[in-house]
Amino acid sequence: MDKRDPFRHNVLTSGHRACSGCGEAMAARMVCDLIGPDAIYINATGCLQVFTTHNQQSAWQAPWIHSVFANAAAVASGVEAALRVRGKDTPVVVQAGDGGTFDIGLQCLSGMIERGHDVLFVCYDNEAYMNTGVQRSSSTPHAVHTTTSPPGRLSQGKHHLKKDVISIVAAHYMPYAATATIAYFPDLKAKVEKAMGIKGPRFLQVLSPCPLGWAHDSALTVTVSRLAVETGLFPLIELEHGELTGVMRLAEQKPVEEYLRPQGRFRHLFGNGEGAAELRHLQALADARICRYGLLDAATEWDTQSAMQSMRHGRGGYVPVLQEEMEK
Amino acid sequence: MTPELAFEPGSSTAYHTGEWRIAKPLYRDKWPPCGQSCPASEDIQGWLALASEQQWETAWRKLTERNPFPATMGRICYHPCEQACNRGHLDSVVNIHAVERHLGDLAIANRWRHAPLDELPKRQRIAVVGAGPAGLSCAFQLVRRGYPVTVFDAQKEPGGTLRSGIPAYRLPKAVLADEIDAILALGIELQAGTRVGREISEEELRDRFDAIFLAIGTQRPRRYQGDASSHSVMSGLDFLHRLNRGERMVLPSRVAVIGGGNTAIDVARCARRLGAQVTILSPQDPPVNHLTRRGTEMPVSSQELMEAESEGVELLYRVGVRRLVRSGEHLSGIEIAHVDQVHDRHGRFNPVLFDGTEAFVPAGLAIFAIGQQVEWQGLEGLSQAPESERVWIGGDAGGSPRFAVAAVGSGYQAAMSILTALQDPAAPFAAEEKPHISFKQMHLEYYPARPRHEGRVIAQPLDGFDETVQGLAESDARQEAERCLSCGVCFQCDNCWHFCPDAAVIKKGAGYEIDYDYCKGCGICVQECPCGHIDMEKVE
Repeated sequence: MDKRDPFRHNVLTSGHRACSGCGEAMAARMVCDLIGPDAIYINATGCLQVFTTHNQQSAWQAPWIHSVFANAAAVASGVEAALRVRGKDTPVVVQAGDGGTFDIGLQCLSGMIERGHDVLFVCYDNEAYMNTGVQRSSSTPHAVHTTTSPPGRLSQGKHHLKKDVISIVAAHYMPYAATATIAYFPDLKAKVEKAMGIKGPRFLQVLSPCPLGWAHDSALTVTVSRLAVETGLFPLIELEHGELTGVMRLAEQKPVEEYLRPQGRFRHLFGNGEGAAELRHLQALADARICRYGLLDAATEWDTQSAMQSMRHGRGGYVPVLQEEMEK
Repeated sequence: MTPELAFEPGSSTAYHTGEWRIAKPLYRDKWPPCGQSCPASEDIQGWLALASEQQWETAWRKLTERNPFPATMGRICYHPCEQACNRGHLDSVVNIHAVERHLGDLAIANRWRHAPLDELPKRQRIAVVGAGPAGLSCAFQLVRRGYPVTVFDAQKEPGGTLRSGIPAYRLPKAVLADEIDAILALGIELQAGTRVGREISEEELRDRFDAIFLAIGTQRPRRYQGDASSHSVMSGLDFLHRLNRGERMVLPSRVAVIGGGNTAIDVARCARRLGAQVTILSPQDPPVNHLTRRGTEMPVSSQELMEAESEGVELLYRVGVRRLVRSGEHLSGIEIAHVDQVHDRHGRFNPVLFDGTEAFVPAGLAIFAIGQQVEWQGLEGLSQAPESERVWIGGDAGGSPRFAVAAVGSGYQAAMSILTALQDPAAPFAAEEKPHISFKQMHLEYYPARPRHEGRVIAQPLDGFDETVQGLAESDARQEAERCLSCGVCFQCDNCWHFCPDAAVIKKGAGYEIDYDYCKGCGICVQECPCGHIDMEKVE
């Protein structure tokens, strides 16, 4: 066991093979350290599974299982049922990418929610099949360049819109479904803690930028994820039993161009007439989401500015490693 | 048969992803602009951080490492730190001087005592001539390190220009006396009323002491040469000295003050309090932002200028005196003219006036605050002695800019030179080399806007010499200290620790460490560090 850090467990520890600046590795480490090592983690196929378990070396410092792409939620259902029979209340957590949630895993996820299993399902949303070389998924936003949605004479990247998976999940009369991102740790922490305090199926969609697939500088991972929220393209919301119960208010709405510019996957939109039309379309999509969730005027505890402000000695962390455990 | 594996099954930590790295993050403390611009080289960020955690006494001790006059300087310093403060790019600069004053006032109220740094008594005796800010600052540094120090001053009471030149509404006498008492309490021998060259000779000084620091200030006012009569003419220095000695002068109804420096402003505001109608004739323009363009702008803080104006002092800029207009001995006013150049072609202060721009300003008294010079009388020998003879000159007498805080810094520098010359075991005191930081290296989006707290200005009838600005309440002082951006100095916000995708940032009790075995050099920690504490360096 790696116990280098006395202030957190590093459930997902060092030595994993994620690309430099990986948003998903960051998101998974945050979420798993907030939950702690005393949980059972079920992983769908995807980047996270591949880069954390390379050549028989595991980066997981907690019970962890991978089966196949489609059935992570089904495996979790079984694990949860078995624990229930044995009278244990160990938390069960599914981790999946957007492929394993929006596309391939959607049926099993729907079944798991419908049967009411006490499982937290976390989707690390990097908006394409990154592990296999950046193919479009149903999570890929409109007008994005992927290897299977290349811009050219007939299109400006992906034709279709990003699937609104949080609404689909919430429509199951879901106890708790929320979106979060890595840029706002206090918000992510509040949502994980809230989810862990609720019994029944829970869902968390965490936007996790991918420097490789999104083609941005590896240092900009957090900045880009913050801009996704600040432009209104990725609203941070909470839905309980289908009702909107919380949003992250935008202190100031930024134009979508600020979010799109640093990313190579939107480069084809700049400097031509058809691209300009798509830029206006993306701005309209952001405006529509802001309007739909009332992101500019909701009465909320914090907004995009107060949620990111830094403080001396930090704004809280994780379950610390116990002293006796360190000595062991 | 089992196939052979390239890796043993186990933890991924066996694989060192640090080998992928092409650039390397490094934690590196920087010099924030406040400390960099402080003439007394205070670690301002350091004591503000302690104040923000309400460690008031530790903050005071940190501050007084370099400046034993916080209550005094918090009131009268022109605070170049605030002009340099990066917070100005975000909302408004931190009210550093108000927190400094708060610490100084707390020290007085709680009777905190300075502690010696070195208990081991030293043999070599040191003489300091002049008990002003430079002399006391030097004596303070040396006595704390165990040296027996004797301070000589011609006046009956210590303080120098702080006592005789600063009006009480800016610096109450009791505040100054308390801070000086705390310095002297370290065991400094004070010989007040002892003028070198009169009560004690230069030779005796050389015989009795191993090192001598001359900090005698500038006690001889520059006088107006254009008029033979001295009737109804006074120097600013004499005016303030007489006032500070308690003399209640009777002034004519109109007074003209000539000069563009702090002394001119002080004189004008005092004369207002004595009931006169006052006009300042400044050869320079009003100050803009910086005190660096000394040539054409008044070397005063714009705040003081505003306070003077709000008290009813009239100001005329870029004007010089053509002649004093008299009817008989009686002064009826001053003929002024517009200034072309403030300095003549030799660089000396000597305003050149435009013909044909003359005007008349009525005045029954002309107070000239046009500079002052060192009075070397009695110290001619020592003033020529080189440092090899262990004689140092500092403060205003050393020619540094004429601000009390610069004198404090000069006293510190002299003390360090003396320690080096005396081969003190702790010498040499190599200045710590730290890179500087500009607001461009900071990530200001991580700081929310917070309003600046100001000391309340006390409305009072304009005939008293009570203090005009109140100190901050404790909660305001703490909140003001919290506004510090901590430029270039880690304040443990946890960003690098949270945002490392590779769990390569390890949190220690205070601070962090990068595990270079695993750091892939993505640069996120550098990008998301609010205060610019982390640098990225190329790996060859």
